[in-house]
Amino acid sequence: MVPILLSALATFLVRALPYYATFLDRLPKFLSKSLKLLPIAALGPLIFPGVILDYQQNWYAGLLGILAASIFAYRKRGMIIPILLSIGVTYLALLV
Amino acid sequence: MQPELTFKQGCQEGFPIFVGYFPTAMAFGLVCRDLGLRIWEAVLFSLTNFAGSGQFLAANLMGKGAILAEIFISVMLVNLRYSFMGAELSRKLAKGIGGWQRVLLAHGTTDEVFSVAVLHAQPITKQYLAGLEGTAYLGWVSGTAVGFLVGMILPSALQLAVGVTLYAMFSSLLAQEFRQKGGRVILIAGLSAVLNSILIIVCKFGVGWAFVISMLAASFIGAALTDEVQEYV
Repeated sequence: MVPILLSALATFLVRALPYYATFLDRLPKFLSKSLKLLPIAALGPLIFPGVILDYQQNWYAGLLGILAASIFAYRKRGMIIPILLSIGVTYLALLV
Repeated sequence: MQPELTFKQGCQEGFPIFVGYFPTAMAFGLVCRDLGLRIWEAVLFSLTNFAGSGQFLAANLMGKGAILAEIFISVMLVNLRYSFMGAELSRKLAKGIGGWQRVLLAHGTTDEVFSVAVLHAQPITKQYLAGLEGTAYLGWVSGTAVGFLVGMILPSALQLAVGVTLYAMFSSLLAQEFRQKGGRVILIAGLSAVLNSILIIVCKFGVGWAFVISMLAASFIGAALTDEVQEYV
């Protein structure tokens, strides 16, 4: 139980820090500009290389799935249909 | 002017995260059972940590009999990205959220919650964030318990296919950002994706470090190349 709670504490500290650190309100201009780009920059590593590595020898299966999702999401708002579509496409790609 | 973000919208947008977390959390529940932990310990893990890669790492280190300091430092490093994400997320929070509410909202910050919440143009209300984080949390904690109790229930191809959920969610977000803000979105996200892949596959970096380095590097390069980022706010 001690290791579990210690791990929780480590996680909480890195999470809570920015919610209480006041110096974040007066960062140099370049840093605050970079911070604004963070949401976009985070999307890359959240997708790659995981979407390829997770599927091992069927490396293309996840790629086809997210391609389907991207095309659909580009044309229309909302996220449920692109996600369901990509699960379907990935499933088919794994079966073939 | 766009309407204020509501609790209901948070829950709706949290639903894909729920679906994505559930099978991953089931896998975590199984790992805990294999390590000889009891069910309440596995659930306590997910309740108090609520962090995918951090929990897998901590459980692994526990299994190897690592000393406490090693667990503490490793988990902190793997989760370091939450500090940067929290910095941007807290900047966009609606005014007047303080004390315990901040503690709870900070505890609910994950990669997925961050990406979904922070791409909204309007201020992030506590009601919305509570719905989003609560739904994701529910998927994570309940998945852990179910995984511990029953193991994997889906056939493996379907299970792998459901695993695409979170990637599909991020890709959809990226596609929508691209439509609204143009090619630089793809440039920055593509750069961080390539960097992260190189660091993990070629340089064999741990996922925590690779994530932090690639995310920050792409942000800096993006900021250096862009004159005006007002449009990204």
